Amino acid sequence: MGLVARFLEENGLSTVVLTMVPEFNREIGIPRIAAIEYPFGRVVGEVNDDAGQRDVLRAALSILETAETPGEVVHLPFTWHEAPAETKWHPPEISPVIKLYLAEIKKAGAEARK
Amino acid sequence: MPPSLSAWMAKSIPENDFSGDIPWTPLKRPVSETVFALMTSAGISMKTDSPFDMERERREPLWGDPTYRKIPKTAVETEIDVNHLHVNTDYVKQDMNVILPLKRFIEFEADGTVGALAPTAYSYYGYQMDPRVLLNETMPRVAADMRAEGVEAVLLTPT
Repeated sequence: MGLVARFLEENGLSTVVLTMVPEFNREIGIPRIAAIEYPFGRVVGEVNDDAGQRDVLRAALSILETAETPGEVVHLPFTWHEAPAETKWHPPEISPVIKLYLAEIKKAGAEARK
Repeated sequence: MPPSLSAWMAKSIPENDFSGDIPWTPLKRPVSETVFALMTSAGISMKTDSPFDMERERREPLWGDPTYRKIPKTAVETEIDVNHLHVNTDYVKQDMNVILPLKRFIEFEADGTVGALAPTAYSYYGYQMDPRVLLNETMPRVAADMRAEGVEAVLLTPT
């Protein structure tokens, strides 16, 4: 998504990326990031929470006016209403690439727990 | 994100800040006067369109559909299809605004928060291990479509 934002900026469009993985900015350099700790698949907010969605979007839009430096990451002050362990975001089947790399992923997890 | 997956992904992300050039188009006028388009990588398509290709990805796990779909700003949940093998798509099927906030932006257009919402929104598929087709073939078309509708700024929402 960051590469797409870069492409659009190169083509004269201003962008803001609302994302739960702002770390990608360190890899590719994303012009403007609104970082939020919301789950995959619901980055704007909870289902049917119109007011909550509006608050998140207004905060993200304001970055277009306030960001002065390319690569700016603004952490939005919103907290998801469920604990991470209780939040469901996984697809119903393991994705093909995760299946392919499952052994490596388990190894990285075991190393991180050491 | 499961801790193991997070630890694995962290291996491919550098520890230092990005040091290269970052393209930059400043906003030309306040948000309240700016024409917006929405774009998501959620794999949303209209039921009248062909869906994103999940079968080829099941056969070729490192391939992701590099095409895009147009979504009219008036689209509602009963008119869309959502295909994504990496997240749970149930929520966006119940309320598409959780990832493609068209209704919220139509409200913003009415109350003057934004200048306007362009007639068309865009969806692609947020799993591109090799982004060359997406960037070299798909996005130039999207940018041309946006220019034709007078778009000045884009909100991007990943899956």
